[in-house]
Amino acid sequence: MNVEEIVKYMAENIPRGGVGAIQKALAFIVRDFKIWWTYKLWITLDILSSLTFVATYYFVSMIITPQALINAGYAADYLTFSVIGISLQHYVFTSVSSLSDAIREEQWNGTMETILSSTTSFRVFLLGESAFRFIIGSYFLLASLGMGVLLGIRLVLNPGSIIAASVLTILLVASHMVIGVLGAAMILKLKQGDPIVWAFSWLTQLFSGVLYPLGLLPDWLKWVGNAFPLTYSLDGLRRCLMNGEGFDSPMIMENTLKLMLFIMVVLPFSLWFFKKAYDSTRREGALGQY
Amino acid sequence: MNRLEILQLFRDEERRSKSGLRQLSAVVWAQLKMMLAYKSWLVMDLLSTFASVVMYYFVGLQVDPLRLSQSGWGTSYLAFSLVGVATSNYLWACLTRLSHSIQHEIRGGTLETIAVTPVNMLVFFIGLTARGYLVSLIYLVGVFTVGVYGLGANLSFNPQSFLIFIVLFMLMLVSNQALGLIAAGIIMVYKRGDPLVFILAAVNEFLAGVLYPLELLKRFPAVQFLSMLFPYTYALDGMRRVLILSASMPDVNVLTDIVVLAVFSLILVPIGLKTLEWGYGRIRREGTTSSY
Repeated sequence: MNVEEIVKYMAENIPRGGVGAIQKALAFIVRDFKIWWTYKLWITLDILSSLTFVATYYFVSMIITPQALINAGYAADYLTFSVIGISLQHYVFTSVSSLSDAIREEQWNGTMETILSSTTSFRVFLLGESAFRFIIGSYFLLASLGMGVLLGIRLVLNPGSIIAASVLTILLVASHMVIGVLGAAMILKLKQGDPIVWAFSWLTQLFSGVLYPLGLLPDWLKWVGNAFPLTYSLDGLRRCLMNGEGFDSPMIMENTLKLMLFIMVVLPFSLWFFKKAYDSTRREGALGQY
Repeated sequence: MNRLEILQLFRDEERRSKSGLRQLSAVVWAQLKMMLAYKSWLVMDLLSTFASVVMYYFVGLQVDPLRLSQSGWGTSYLAFSLVGVATSNYLWACLTRLSHSIQHEIRGGTLETIAVTPVNMLVFFIGLTARGYLVSLIYLVGVFTVGVYGLGANLSFNPQSFLIFIVLFMLMLVSNQALGLIAAGIIMVYKRGDPLVFILAAVNEFLAGVLYPLELLKRFPAVQFLSMLFPYTYALDGMRRVLILSASMPDVNVLTDIVVLAVFSLILVPIGLKTLEWGYGRIRREGTTSSY
């Protein structure tokens, strides 16, 4: 066997077929669920800890006047406003950050190199890792909203508002999966201190209207919130759940279209960015490094 | 050499410390070097400090000053939340940092390595908390600076109030770090106890009234009673009285807070040290210093 033949042999691309992408993603979800389920105490305490946020804003709402909410076009109920805000922000933040954490965990345990050297592509790897985080995150979201209902939040539900809220929730998840992929790419390179997740956390808290309507921000700061899909998701979902608005409302339509546009523009970029980081880490041989 | 002599030889403890201070500074220096290795993380942390203060400034714009003043804490929600937000990071550092660091060392396999060196382990454990303390200090100074000089929060900083604040603050650190020692000792043995500590910190933060006046808890006597079981409640009450209401000595409420915190410290510190010693002794005996 001459040199060319050896090189050709080594360069041969093993076909990646066999098991379908969806099946593999499902396998990731089942694997992560099995690991997650072994920590039942952890899960219970985690939910309890997120409920303390809701309880805190129950008391904060007692000293707040609803005038700013009325001016922004929402129902005059700060408790409902803040519970929707913190539940959704917490949901997307934990989902996005836990994707980065999962990458760190795989690196730490040395399993990332093993998975990616198999016939599983990085796209399937990302889909599987992130899908589980968002599914599990919704558990906390429902717990927070349930706690809110117990404390007296008022949700206006009708067929139109439920359909619009469901569509907006799907778009919320999809748009934040995209951000999660960007964060995962950063963690591949930097190993710790994912700036995307950090920036996402504090910028959305500040500019997406999690705890106050955006009308309170000075005009020169309002534009920052427009860069984040959480801003549109929160506004849309609040209008659905607090005011009972559906797709016949121009504001709901506008928020939906903006979210779709965000996904269409940022998804290809985030996949390209992850591929770049992944290839560069592979070249450096640092895939399993932490 | 007979069997007993061989056993004695293995039992011999090396003298673990010549200078505890030198060892402490070495551990702290190692922690600082690790922290500074992640510069982007540090920058982002500083920015999020700024963001959290600004966020409560905007929340404060919605607060009804009359309702806040009826609770006895003046009319500025920014000043009220600033003291809570600035100090709550220390609460988390005291309660969670040590147990988290020990878990990290166990996982990385480095606790076993350090245990066989002549390092005094108590000094090592104290050194491990340094990173959390330093980050919290940056946060505390950042929050007060942005809040007072950037956003105009009206807090009383004069030599006397500063001195009382420091006393309350130190007592808060000691009493809460003692709780952190207890948690670390237990987690060392049972490995997966992190969520317990996190829930303790989250519940503690909620019950101490970091973001709302505790007077609102009067409607829920059971919750109000629970809030009185944590040292941070008294520390926060005292620090707010000094910085927001300009309470000076001898203010009965502040004195009560100081006495209660001192009692908490006197009771909890020995328990904390004993629990840590018990946990470390047990994982050495069981040979689980590097298993997780």
